[in-house]
Amino acid sequence: MADDLRTLADEDLMQLVRRGQAAAFEVIYERHSQAAFSLAYRMAGSRGVAEDVVQEAFLNIWRSGARYERARGSVRTWLLGIVHHRAIDALRRSFVHEKRRASDEGIAETLETGERTDVEAARSEEAATVRKALLGLPPEQVQVIELAYFGGFTHTEIAEMLETPIGTVKGRMRLGLEKMRHALGGGRVSQG
Amino acid sequence: MRTGPDHERWADSIGAYLLEALPDDEREGFEAHLADCPTCRRDTDELRVAADALPMSVEPVAPPAALQGRVMTVVRAEAELLAASGPGADRPEPAADPGRDVEEAAPGRTSAARGRRAGGRGRLSGGRFLGGVLERPAFALACALVLLVLGGAGGALLRGGGGDEAPGPRPPALRTTAAQIDAARAPNASVRLEQRDGSARLVVRDMPAPPAGRLYQVWLKRPGQSPEPMPVLWAPRRDGSAEVYVPGRLDGVDAVLVTDEPRGGAQIPSKAPVITAVPA
Repeated sequence: MADDLRTLADEDLMQLVRRGQAAAFEVIYERHSQAAFSLAYRMAGSRGVAEDVVQEAFLNIWRSGARYERARGSVRTWLLGIVHHRAIDALRRSFVHEKRRASDEGIAETLETGERTDVEAARSEEAATVRKALLGLPPEQVQVIELAYFGGFTHTEIAEMLETPIGTVKGRMRLGLEKMRHALGGGRVSQG
Repeated sequence: MRTGPDHERWADSIGAYLLEALPDDEREGFEAHLADCPTCRRDTDELRVAADALPMSVEPVAPPAALQGRVMTVVRAEAELLAASGPGADRPEPAADPGRDVEEAAPGRTSAARGRRAGGRGRLSGGRFLGGVLERPAFALACALVLLVLGGAGGALLRGGGGDEAPGPRPPALRTTAAQIDAARAPNASVRLEQRDGSARLVVRDMPAPPAGRLYQVWLKRPGQSPEPMPVLWAPRRDGSAEVYVPGRLDGVDAVLVTDEPRGGAQIPSKAPVITAVPA
């Protein structure tokens, strides 16, 4: 049964998850747990916190699968949005802010780039495109985007940190996203 | 294109909103504006392309294999319970996080619905499911009925793992510790706590039924903290046996406690525990 499920698109799997099919959910987990964990780890800088974040996010998704709506975008985007929320919750609630910058566990845990499936190779290319778009921004725009999205800081905190007016920080965020959008071709990056 | 009231004030906040950098009160204000401002809705939708792409820029890191086992243990147990409860059963929902539920995961996607956000951010771990159970008496009752009526075949919530569909990794080591029992309330009972990697369960024998109108509830006790309620409301089978799944991780947990509580469960234990199990 699991093999049959693996041929289904995420959106179809979510229909089964909605009906309480654990096997369908497991396929969703297997497809997206790496991206989820990577994002959580990037934000928290700690394996333990990242594990908690991912576990919470996936259980939340399992219990609320009925709330996914196709029209809102891909399952992957939806799911990573939930992980991002959970990670920000963790960051803003706690001590992680102080620790996460210096990853104490880093390099060895990064995935080997050896055996990649076609899907993974495509995602790797997309990741490179996004990284290029992000790093192609003026440094002050990259800085506020990274502090906000991956650091979980509010614009007020960022303004204090950089000793820059809040309006300037907000302006850099918007400008940065606009330039990224253009660099990405103005269209959606496939995340499916 | 038409703009909403206070457009000049809010237009600069779109980037911060999509990056989740607005404080809660400001986010609510922005979302209220978004509902009335077609221009900001359009701009927000356009820029979301960039914000949604950001997770992809992250260097890939493999999650630990045991994480899948932990997640799927809970998922399978709940799936079995839902199946046993029938198609009309309430589906458990995360509830202890009113300010941040799944529906609200994508900034700006549900501007109307998001207006009801209560604000604040939820706890990270443990007990989230309990809120859903407690707010859904039918589901809580189903937990009890499954155990009382169907016995072993229906003890879904109480089994960690199992099932024959796509099993997760099987951790090798099993650690077992005997639990302390309140002999006055359960004179013949014996209970052991079994831990296997990230999951745990209580194996219960000769346990009396809980008092009328009550169920047993599991709690996790951490140092210096009040016991945390777990989403497990249970009663033993007719022969006094039960296998009680203990959700969450036991890292840093002093003791797994069991008390009897009203059928809807409790947020604070109303009695001394009848079972106290110290993790290995």
